[in-house]
Amino acid sequence: MSSIDEDQALVAAALNGSAYAWDKLVKRYEGRIYNQGLRLTGNATDAMDLMQEVFLGVYRNLHRFRGDAKFSSWIFRIAHNKAVDMNRRKRFITAQPRLSNLDEDNGMDNFPGEERFEPDARLGEQQLNDSVLNMLSELSLEQRWVVELKIFQSFTFDEIAELQDISANTAKTRFYSALKKLKVVLEEDNVLS
Amino acid sequence: MSCPKTQHLLQEYFSDELAPVVRDELDKHLSECSHCSTELELLLMAQGNLQQWQEKQVPHWDRGLTLFRQEHKTISNASGFWSRWQWLPTAASFVMLCVLVFNFSIVTDDNGLTISFGGSPTSSSSIQSQLAEFQQLQNAEMQALVARIEDRADSNNVQLMQAVLEQTQRSTAESFDQIYSYFEQQRLLDLQDMRVGYEQLADSDYKTIRSLQQLVNFVGYQSDIR
Repeated sequence: MSSIDEDQALVAAALNGSAYAWDKLVKRYEGRIYNQGLRLTGNATDAMDLMQEVFLGVYRNLHRFRGDAKFSSWIFRIAHNKAVDMNRRKRFITAQPRLSNLDEDNGMDNFPGEERFEPDARLGEQQLNDSVLNMLSELSLEQRWVVELKIFQSFTFDEIAELQDISANTAKTRFYSALKKLKVVLEEDNVLS
Repeated sequence: MSCPKTQHLLQEYFSDELAPVVRDELDKHLSECSHCSTELELLLMAQGNLQQWQEKQVPHWDRGLTLFRQEHKTISNASGFWSRWQWLPTAASFVMLCVLVFNFSIVTDDNGLTISFGGSPTSSSSIQSQLAEFQQLQNAEMQALVARIEDRADSNNVQLMQAVLEQTQRSTAESFDQIYSYFEQQRLLDLQDMRVGYEQLADSDYKTIRSLQQLVNFVGYQSDIR
C-alpha cells in the first residue's frame, strides 16, 4: 500500500472513530509540522502551539477531506493557513528568530534519547539549526514559504502553486530569488569572516 | 564577466521535470560559462546550508487523543442500544435480495407445505388452469349478481309505486274529509245566521204590533174625548 493510500485508509478509519488510526496519522505528520513551526516561528513554544492548532484544524475538518488531493497537500494547506493566522497575531516571521528560546525549550520537552547524553552533538545540531534560522530570517514571507515547501517538504512547484494559489512559474521565480538572496548572505558572511 | 542567460537557465535548473534535451543544453552551457557555473555553485551551497537543518523530535503531547476519545465516546454512547442492531437492515436487505434472485416461494396446499426455488413449467400450467377456473367462477358470480340487482331494482320499483298510490289515496280521503267538515261548518254557521235573522225579524214585527196597538189606543182615546 502506498503512502497516499495509507493516509486515506487512516483518515477513513479515524472518521469511523478509530483512535489508533488518528494517533498513527498524527505521528506520520507531527514531525514535519513541528519542524516547520520551528523554522517559521524560531521557538519551540510557538512551534508547539502552531502544531496543536494545525492538528486541531485537521481534526475539525477531517470529514471534508475528499481524497481527491494528497493528504500531505491538504494538511500543509491547513498548516499554511494556521501559520498565517498566527503570524498576524505574533509577527514571528518578520522578526529575528529567538534562538535562545529554541535552545531552552528543546532541553525540557524532548523525549529521553541518545542526544540527551551527548551535549556536544546537541550543541552542533543547535548551531546548524540557528544558522538555518538566521538565513531564513533574511527572506520575505513569500520566499520563505516557497523555500519551506520546496526544500524541507519536497513539494513540486505545481503542488506549491496549488497550495498557495499562485502559478508554478511564480513559485519557481520566488524560489530562485530566495536562493539568490541566501547566496548574497553567504558571500557577505564569507567576506566578514 | 556576467552572462545574459544566467537567470533564465538557473531558474530552469531547479525545475522539477526537465526535458533531457534541455538538460543537455544546460549542462553544455554550464561547462562553457564560468559565470553561470559559479553562480549555480553558490546557489547550491545556499540550498545545501538550508538542508543542514537537524530535525527536532516533537515534545511529548497527547496528539489530540483525549479530545478524539471524548467526542467519539459521546457519539457511540448516543447511539446506545441501536448501535448493536446496525447490521439488521443490511441483513434484511440481503434476505430480500436472495428471495428475488432465487425466485423463492412457499406454497401451502392439501399436500402440505412446499418450498421452491425458481419457477417450473408444471406449476405455471397449473396456475394457468386455476386462473381460468377462477375467471369462470368470477364471471358466473358477476352474472348472478347482476340478476339479483335487477330483481331488487324491479321489486323496489313496485314498492315505490304502491307507496305512491297509498299516499295519494290517503291524501285524497283526507281532502274529502276536510271538504265535508268545511261544508258542515258552513251549514251550521248559515243556520245560526238564519236563526238570528228570524229572531231580529220577529222582534221588529213585535215592535210594529206594539206601535199599532199604541196608535189604536190613542185613536180610541181621542174619540172618547169627543
